[in-house]
Amino acid sequence: MADDPRRRRPFGFEEDLGVAVTEDAPAVEAAPLSTPATPTEWIRQNLFSSWFNTILTLVAGAFLLFVLYSLINFTFVSADWAVVQRFMKAYMAGPFPIEEVWRIWVCFYAVALLAGLSLGSSRWRPRVTTRTVLVTAVSSGAASAIVLYTVRTALVLSLTAGIVIVAAAGTVVGRALGNRLRKPLLAAWFLLFPIMLVVVRAFDGVAPRFWGGLFFNLIAATVGIVASFPIGLLLALGRKSSLPAVRIVCVVIIEVFRGVPLIAWLIFSRFVVDLFLPPQMEVPNIIKAFIAMTMFSSAYVAEIVRGGLQGVDPGQLEAGRALGLSPLRLTALIVMPQALRSTIPPMIGHFISLFKDTSLFSAIAVTELLSAARRSSASLEFFGLDAETLLFAALIFWVIAFSMSRWSQRLEHRLGVGER
Amino acid sequence: MTQETESPQQAEAKAGRTDDHMIVAQDVKKWFGHFQALRGISMTVDRRETVVVVGPSGSGKSTFIRTINRLERHDGGRIVVDGIELTDDIRNIAQVRSEIGMVFQSFNLFPHLTIMQNITLAPRNVRRWAKEKAEEKAVQLLERVGIPEQAQKYPAQLSGGQQQRVAIARALAMEPKIMLFDEPTSALDPEMIKEVLDVMEELSESGMTMIVVTHEIGFARHAADRVCLFDEGVLVEKASPDRFFDDPQHDRTKRFLSQIV
Repeated sequence: MADDPRRRRPFGFEEDLGVAVTEDAPAVEAAPLSTPATPTEWIRQNLFSSWFNTILTLVAGAFLLFVLYSLINFTFVSADWAVVQRFMKAYMAGPFPIEEVWRIWVCFYAVALLAGLSLGSSRWRPRVTTRTVLVTAVSSGAASAIVLYTVRTALVLSLTAGIVIVAAAGTVVGRALGNRLRKPLLAAWFLLFPIMLVVVRAFDGVAPRFWGGLFFNLIAATVGIVASFPIGLLLALGRKSSLPAVRIVCVVIIEVFRGVPLIAWLIFSRFVVDLFLPPQMEVPNIIKAFIAMTMFSSAYVAEIVRGGLQGVDPGQLEAGRALGLSPLRLTALIVMPQALRSTIPPMIGHFISLFKDTSLFSAIAVTELLSAARRSSASLEFFGLDAETLLFAALIFWVIAFSMSRWSQRLEHRLGVGER
Repeated sequence: MTQETESPQQAEAKAGRTDDHMIVAQDVKKWFGHFQALRGISMTVDRRETVVVVGPSGSGKSTFIRTINRLERHDGGRIVVDGIELTDDIRNIAQVRSEIGMVFQSFNLFPHLTIMQNITLAPRNVRRWAKEKAEEKAVQLLERVGIPEQAQKYPAQLSGGQQQRVAIARALAMEPKIMLFDEPTSALDPEMIKEVLDVMEELSESGMTMIVVTHEIGFARHAADRVCLFDEGVLVEKASPDRFFDDPQHDRTKRFLSQIV
């Protein structure tokens, strides 16, 4: 409503009607400024305004200090982080043969390059404020400190630094090329995953049963997200179809996959997926589990999209129909863009939990990040260091999940959710 | 049931050639569940004619114009639009819809698209026009409805009156032969009604075939060739505006006019 003429010019509509604003009308005044409180005032008003508030402040403050102290004491005094140094490769790649790890590096470099190019060519300009500079400095400082401490070989260190450099270079190039990159980049993102599979598998590559560590979690989450999004869309549309057969099939798929725990689907998948494949087809068990996870996730995506579809004003459909749009165009151009925009927050929320749920693959003997962490603290040398290993795995999960959440907020902001 | 007041030439033309009729509705019936919304409406609308439909709420006037572009399926009778009969045949429906523009009470602009995209969407996707042609047409239409400077804004950034004028431009972009207006000013603030009615009057004068459901009696007097009263799913009276307002034939019309004036 920013440009609503009535807001911009008080009394403007009277001018439009040809009625002059009377001479003695009160002048337009600026809104009164609220004076910012001094730090002391702020503390008194917000933390010590009543005796009850004072007690709450003291108790909460004491608790916070205690937690902070324990954390710092654990991190810098009592913890033995040598286990993380020793098992870094297992956390990142699991049982992936060490002489083939270059394949994973190639994948990470490709992703870093594309991410940098995309960031650069998008119209995004970071807001430089004291706060953002401080947050960026602290988080990148912490990240470098962790990397420097946990990574012990010069080769891996320089390769890690290389990823950052490639991403930064991509951002600069992307900024220079701008919009011209849009279509090639879109194609590149679509081709990225097949190319990564080729990089991992081609020329006597690494079979899925050797995939592991964080690399596996990322692969599984990407497969789940990329594949379940379109399938979920179709299921949601099918559930609203006017054809009873389509509707019933979709409802059954959604309810069956949603009603059973993911971990059960992963274990079942070895047997269930075979029922739908020709008998001579040999599919690795992990791929079967990917299929089960995708269907599980699709059911949730379908229900999220259905919520979005219900939020679209029926008048929009009527307007589209009255213009002569075919049902397909109506769905693609009018209904879906509006339905999907309102589903961004729950959709990203679902994808974050799907990413974390990839740790359930440990139930079918995949050494993904979490199980690699647990195995490392069960080794003879480092027996019992569960707190260190689990905390490190949790930190990695958190950093990625938090980045997804921030990215979702940016997306919401850019698409103007709740504004238009 | 209907009261036709026609010149002899018009009557002759109607008896002889049917291709002067843009819309022919014969005994149109419509039920919602057990409720009969239309109880046999027969009406013809000639080319270049503006018909205003008035009536109390629930009288079936909106339902009737929505059957003409098949937003509602009629359960009985015939509807022929520009020589094409509306049946369940999807191709006929698509063809008829592309000949008819419709303007809604609540505008129904597409909120995720700019004004320019709102107007060019259907010409580009249904008529398959090139982007440049569709945008050129859109600029002309925005000038015609008086808001050429708003093309790159989103609907929510416009006032109600401006949104409704965009909705008219969006419908006109398909170069329709008929325009249907379903209470186009009922959702507007009073000071914005005139700007929309002005556009509609100009359209009517330019020779567009129009059916307008409205409560704006002033517009009906100025712009209409005929005025119809609907009540309880029945077309009670159809007459020229002068005759309809100054010398109504039916008691129901007299009562309706006494209530609204």
